[in-house]
Amino acid sequence: MRRIVLARIAVLAGLLGGWELWASRRDPLLYVPPSRVWPALGRVLGLDAYPTLVTHFGVTALEVIVAYVLAVGLGLALGFALGLPRHVGEIYEPILSALYAIPSVVWYPSLMLFFGLGPASKIAFGVLLGFFPVVLAVLAGIRSVDPHLLTVARGFGAGPGTCFVKVVLPAITATLLAGLRAGLALCVVGVLVGEILGARRGLGYLINYAYGLFRTADYVALALLALVLVLVIDGAAAWAEGRARRWTEGAA
Amino acid sequence: MRPVTDAHIEVRAVAKQWLTRDHPVPALEAVSLDVAPQEFLTVLGPSGCGKSTLLSIIGGLASPDTGEVRIAGRAVTGPDPRQMAMVFQDPGLFPWRTALENVEFGLELQGVSASSRRERARALLEPVGLRGFENRYPRELSGGMKQRVAIARALALDAPILLMDEPFGALDEQTRLLMGEWLLGIWARTRKTVVFVTHSLQEAILLSQRIVVMTARPGRIKASFEVALATPRDLDAPAAATLRHALWDAIRDESRRALDGDR
Repeated sequence: MRRIVLARIAVLAGLLGGWELWASRRDPLLYVPPSRVWPALGRVLGLDAYPTLVTHFGVTALEVIVAYVLAVGLGLALGFALGLPRHVGEIYEPILSALYAIPSVVWYPSLMLFFGLGPASKIAFGVLLGFFPVVLAVLAGIRSVDPHLLTVARGFGAGPGTCFVKVVLPAITATLLAGLRAGLALCVVGVLVGEILGARRGLGYLINYAYGLFRTADYVALALLALVLVLVIDGAAAWAEGRARRWTEGAA
Repeated sequence: MRPVTDAHIEVRAVAKQWLTRDHPVPALEAVSLDVAPQEFLTVLGPSGCGKSTLLSIIGGLASPDTGEVRIAGRAVTGPDPRQMAMVFQDPGLFPWRTALENVEFGLELQGVSASSRRERARALLEPVGLRGFENRYPRELSGGMKQRVAIARALALDAPILLMDEPFGALDEQTRLLMGEWLLGIWARTRKTVVFVTHSLQEAILLSQRIVVMTARPGRIKASFEVALATPRDLDAPAAATLRHALWDAIRDESRRALDGDR
């Protein structure tokens, strides 16, 4: 374990060192070595370069939250609506999978036309990306429910509602949690991409702004900040998933 | 409240077809049968003869195309956990519930309070030899243990009728024999009406008071045998051997037809 950690540190140090050597001999406008990212990160976090950073960060976080809530709500509703009646899910699942396979960025221009340059289009894009893993997880989960368990439950006098609560929900929990986590990651991606492609506020907007002004070091620092945001959110989701998994196995 | 006094099952001219992709398959054809309260009846038949279908219809999980099933004089319209408990070949334990929580399932649906259903479930797991396994998940139990949990789950309902669809069919021979003895012990104590479906002659002889033999598909009742053997039963006793021959005579042609029909 300790060896692996040491090896990881070595790899990271090697990468940073190589990056430093390679970038420091090239055009400083385009190539930013770590030695310049570090102070830039200090400027960015110290709110010297972008005094409104916190506001932008807040806008992004809010957009992610709203987008995720909508994606989960729509995803669960559609997933159960299509998955619970027999065979309906089988009809729609290939269509949904095909839609999911289309690079979602192609939808973004039309979302901007519909929802404008403000947060609405970013939220819509986050919803669009985050919604698919949730729907598909619900459908896959329901398909994998052992029909025999439903028969057993019916034999014990369980009606459709009780079957849903006592059999379907616990049976799909693991699949559903994985889908919810993937959906959250994609929601963040959707919102950030939306902001980069065209916005007036948000972390993505700042990244695009710094990049547009050739403040390349700031741009890298802000990108790292976005990375941290994604890692923190995914880490929180992983933690919640683990907790929920243990809880459903333990209590049920 | 519980109609223990008359767990009489009447099956009247029950017929059932299953719809497959290209044509309807007749599963049962005019089956009539009476099961007396506290009787241990075995339904013996070749595979695919519709004996499981018959049990599903008695249990209210499937409805007959024609005919009807009456229990204690009332027509069966759906599963009634106060009257009947079911055990299947696949134990069908809920994998996210411990053994104890599985046994509690039926009581939970009936709204029994958490503490009293826990107590009852514990009391049921002990005589089935699963003391100390209460908090294990099904994946941590052997096949025989799982089936005992499933039977404890059915017994927890305290219904007068127990419907068992090849409950030991997936177990190895030795486990099967032991489980049979164990089930007889339970039956002797609780005196439930048991309808037991199997294709094993040996199992039928060891367990039942009466054996009905079904024909190959579409299933009808072909013959009925009273089992007047002393308990504990010895399969090598002459009377058991005679019964075994009689059963085999009755079922042999049906098994052959089922075999040819499958091809």
